Amino acid sequence: MPLAYSVPTDLSPATVVNATSLLRIVALALISGAAIASRLFAVVNFESIIHEFDPWFNYRATRVLASEGFYEFWNWFDPTAWYPLGRVVGGTIYPGLMATSGVIYNILHALNLPVDIRNICVLLAPGFSALTAWSTYMFTKEMKNESAGLLAAAFIGIVPGYISRSVAGSYDNEAIAIFLLMFTFFLWIKALKTGSALFGTLAALFYFYMVAAWGGYAFITNMIPLHAFALILMGRFSSRLYVAYSSWYAIGTLASMQVPFVGFQPVRTSEHMAALGVFGLLQIIAFSELVRAHVSSKQFQSLLYASVIGMGILGALGIVGLTYKGWIAPWTGRFYSLWDTGYAKKYIPIIASVSEHQPTAWPSFFMDLQLLIFLFPAGVVLCFRELRDEHVFVIIYAVVASYFAGVMVRLMLTLTPCVCVCAAVAFSSVLDTYIDPVEPEAVEEDAQTAGDGAVSASSTAVSTSSGSTTTTKKGKKAAPAAHAGPLDGLVSTVSAAVSSKKGEKARGIFGGDTRLAVILNALGMLLFFVLHCTYVTSSAYSSPSVVLASTNPDGSQHIIDDFREAYYWLRQNTPETAVVMSWWDYGYQIAGMADRPTLVDNNTWNNTHIATVGKAMSSSEEVAYPILRKHDVDYVLVIFGGLLGYSGDDINKFLWMVRIAQGVWPDEIQEPNYFTAKGEYRVDDEASATMKNSLMYKMSYYRFAELFGGNQAVDRVRGQQMPRIGPTLDYLDEAFTSENWIVRIYQVKKDDLLGRDLRTANAFEQGKKRKRSKPVARRKAIV
Amino acid sequence: MVPHWRRPLPLLLLSLLCPSFTSAHSFENTAVVRTIDLGGSLVHVTTTYAVKALENGATVYTLALAEREHKRTSWLEAKIKGQQEILPMEAAGFDTENGVHLYSVELPQALRTNGTTNIVVETMETHATYPWPEEAGQKDGQALKHDTDLFVVSPYETNVERIKFKLPSPNAISYSTPDGLDEYTLDNPVAKSGTTITYGPFNNVPVTAEARFLKSKQKKVTVHYNYDHPVLEITKLKRTAEISHWGANLNIEDNIDLHNAGPRLKGHFSRLEHQSSTFFGRLPPHVLPSVALHLPPNICSPYFYDLIGNVSTSHLRVGHMPSEQFSLLELRPRYPLLGGWNYSFTLGWDSPLRDYAGFDKSTGKYVIGVPLMTLVPGAVVDEAELQIILPEGATDVDFFPPFPPIQSYVKTHITYLDTVGRPAVVLEYKDLTTKHAGTIYVTYKVPFSAHMKKPLAVATAFMTLFILGFAVKRIDIRIQKK
Repeated sequence: MPLAYSVPTDLSPATVVNATSLLRIVALALISGAAIASRLFAVVNFESIIHEFDPWFNYRATRVLASEGFYEFWNWFDPTAWYPLGRVVGGTIYPGLMATSGVIYNILHALNLPVDIRNICVLLAPGFSALTAWSTYMFTKEMKNESAGLLAAAFIGIVPGYISRSVAGSYDNEAIAIFLLMFTFFLWIKALKTGSALFGTLAALFYFYMVAAWGGYAFITNMIPLHAFALILMGRFSSRLYVAYSSWYAIGTLASMQVPFVGFQPVRTSEHMAALGVFGLLQIIAFSELVRAHVSSKQFQSLLYASVIGMGILGALGIVGLTYKGWIAPWTGRFYSLWDTGYAKKYIPIIASVSEHQPTAWPSFFMDLQLLIFLFPAGVVLCFRELRDEHVFVIIYAVVASYFAGVMVRLMLTLTPCVCVCAAVAFSSVLDTYIDPVEPEAVEEDAQTAGDGAVSASSTAVSTSSGSTTTTKKGKKAAPAAHAGPLDGLVSTVSAAVSSKKGEKARGIFGGDTRLAVILNALGMLLFFVLHCTYVTSSAYSSPSVVLASTNPDGSQHIIDDFREAYYWLRQNTPETAVVMSWWDYGYQIAGMADRPTLVDNNTWNNTHIATVGKAMSSSEEVAYPILRKHDVDYVLVIFGGLLGYSGDDINKFLWMVRIAQGVWPDEIQEPNYFTAKGEYRVDDEASATMKNSLMYKMSYYRFAELFGGNQAVDRVRGQQMPRIGPTLDYLDEAFTSENWIVRIYQVKKDDLLGRDLRTANAFEQGKKRKRSKPVARRKAIV
Repeated sequence: MVPHWRRPLPLLLLSLLCPSFTSAHSFENTAVVRTIDLGGSLVHVTTTYAVKALENGATVYTLALAEREHKRTSWLEAKIKGQQEILPMEAAGFDTENGVHLYSVELPQALRTNGTTNIVVETMETHATYPWPEEAGQKDGQALKHDTDLFVVSPYETNVERIKFKLPSPNAISYSTPDGLDEYTLDNPVAKSGTTITYGPFNNVPVTAEARFLKSKQKKVTVHYNYDHPVLEITKLKRTAEISHWGANLNIEDNIDLHNAGPRLKGHFSRLEHQSSTFFGRLPPHVLPSVALHLPPNICSPYFYDLIGNVSTSHLRVGHMPSEQFSLLELRPRYPLLGGWNYSFTLGWDSPLRDYAGFDKSTGKYVIGVPLMTLVPGAVVDEAELQIILPEGATDVDFFPPFPPIQSYVKTHITYLDTVGRPAVVLEYKDLTTKHAGTIYVTYKVPFSAHMKKPLAVATAFMTLFILGFAVKRIDIRIQKK
């Protein structure tokens, strides 16, 4: 057999096996290292700090868990959240993340490693990303082989689509959920392949962990039944499927009901009905298979039709009836918004107001996945070539996740693993084909020794992982191949495409130059992928958003730390019971950093309460004041970016407050009132009266114009010139403003001691005369 | 309050000390001059006693402090005028009858009858001033009041007595003019010149350390003055010094609760006004934008963070021995500290151990000197806890504080890679001032086996891991052979 380049022939099979397994372990270790290291930009550039909003709650809850113990945490009622309602934290969260950190914390402390709980929380996501890389490797190994697995692990390790949710400090449920997702899928595939109840049970256990960790578990709850259902429709029902699915569903559902927040949902909500339905269907089919084994085929046919149709109708009717009766909850709003992207905007503005719930923009696919997005379809097509049971799974996963990723930005996260797997399958097929040294039997057999050395040298980097790992597989399969000697294992073709057609007309790659061209190209793509990932990670996804960075003229970094300045001021210089009102975005941060009760926070469970805050912010002072007093509000906190040009400020979010308030009080708050006559959203002189009188506007621009010392005041975010005379406040006092004016805190005045209206009292103190209600008519001189 | 200034006295003297001070009449004060240096949190009082012995062999001079004075005093030291040695002093207990606290000072040599000497007594008073008005707006100035008793309390008769108040700035807002002093002076009892307010001279003052006098004749004096610096108070200081022989490193970490004890902010903080006053360089006296601290030289990897993370607003200029004696840290809290505001933070750094520790070959012991605290200029430390963590396995731990703590004990502290934990010396103090900056010396032995504990523990842990991995890989635990 002609070879494109020479291969060593004097290696024993044991050496090859050992060397490949060592290389695999080293490669996986390096991939884990790269995955962790690339997530540390945030720590290196800033500090070990919890990022964004939700992670602050998770961190706070973890601290309670670590200091008070698990049972205290379980029964934790937090009176400082949703003041005055409070929040039963133990029963309204997915505790998986906190429990994981708590376990790690306790183990380390038991080993006399007193690591700070904050550092555990910060580094949890990078740590789990290494595990995700490993589980993706295991999963892809089931799809194709080890070499594809290693590629997939490397992809998922550094792909920005996953890094965006798992940089150090982004301590959110997704940090561990993607690992659990991939590992549950791997176990499911394994269970399906082997028909082993052990793997089914393991899949159920990891499913339970996933349920405890992330609300996105519903994705697994529907993916696995969908896969099973597709297999049944394809006529691929087998006892392996029956065993795998039944063991997963029965144990997994019972286990998931142990999580208090989930409770009886698995049997009572529509989201979980598909799993139940498929479970029932499988029982029916299994039973019919049993009957078929005992009854003659003609009788069986009629029996089958009658029973399947009857049971199907009965089951569907049952579910519909139970839904109608209210036993099964209908689809939730969040679910509908997945099918109709305009739904949330119409009916649940609070969901639509979150930026990560917006439909994905096309460029972000490229930004998050780069070359993988092109390889992804190729990988899916390659799955069709073999179409084993597990390939059906990947195809379904690819279709479903692609749709969801297009609907919602944050669901890009669920698509990413699938893209990595498919892309790895495609990419490793290319490499397999082109690295394979076997040349097809051709008429002209030129000695190509000239190019050989170059090829083997340039491709060693890849061949160490892919080329040699394939040999292990071949080594294991040595018996059926019946060839003797290691050389056959090495030289036998790898890709199914090539090997299947070996018997027929010879097809393959001729020469070293073609190999070199393609492989160099492929390596170049990988290199650019790495550069892109590093660039995107460091520039776009590694900002804590609590701390802002800017660059000084001399190139050094300047930290803008206004948020922590203001939160720390609240923490140190206000009474511990002082209630702080702010828009819900900042609720978790205030609770976490300032340690003060808040009215609303990022757990947006009570729309009315949020609308109340929205109403207070968007009404005039006189209307807002009673609301503030009734809710015992001591301080009101607003974010204002006008001085610095920080665009994520409250004036830019203001229309959402208006919309949410309008949803509850359509008579009092109307969105059009906040626009100018021309329909523009302005804050300058032309702003509408309602806008100018709103509490939010007044608090944002209070004394802002004075800062410019007589010059024209400019709002740098909106690029508008502010009126020379700013708004005045009668019912609130400015209590604190941070260094760059980003956070402004106002204290709500207590009722006037003399029982006057606060506006009158203020006017009196400033020495203004009270206007007479009726001007005294001057007597006209009689002519 | 437990006195800090107790010094070991020869046993011989103990017999002389008894609460009823039988030796009380062996002296007479020919002249007493008290100078009260008014400050923010700290008031420095220097009293010079010109003493004449009334009997032969008089060696023990008794000082008396009235109840309030005693409560305020956190530092007390007596010297002979013009000499450096500090005289031995012993608390002689509380005289319940007269309501004064007594201290006995041992003179360097016994005085004969009519022999004279000058004793200079320095005290540091804390919490002796209070802001008045209690509230001040952001642009307002800052004024403090100091209340004190006029006459120096002494168990001896005094011929001439003067009390001087030194003000930080020439204009005093007000000072009291006591009346009913005709007994002691015929002139105006008070005079002000420049930054000094002088009361007296008062002649023929009787024994003041007695209940009758304190009740009826003692006068209260109040001085109200402007103070141009923030009044700082450290409500809690927790210093942890960790010694590592393996790393040749001394890590010092301070947890500081800083409080601006000046007038409470009236109304609210306006950033606009703050920015304009910073711009024009006219920061009101009660606003603290930053503190400059002197840290030890040769330090490295300093850190400054608070409960919610790193604070990036600080500058450190590391000084290098021997030319520079300190490193300068300009520490800016997250927000300017206005009257009544708090800020708590953690400050830490590493130092080379050789700058602090030595090995005594004769005893086989290590000696380490740890500075008691970092001075925050003009601030009083209300409560301080100093913890010195010695290397694991250190034995024969002895410690020598510069002055006795309220409480001290040795506990076990467990940290990274420890197996049994390290001994930690804990000392607790109260009301520390600039005068208290001292060094505490700790001596200990570390046997060679203790040094080896750490690598052995780590090696054992890894060995166990490898053996477990080995075992799992090699042992077949399948029930059914395939």
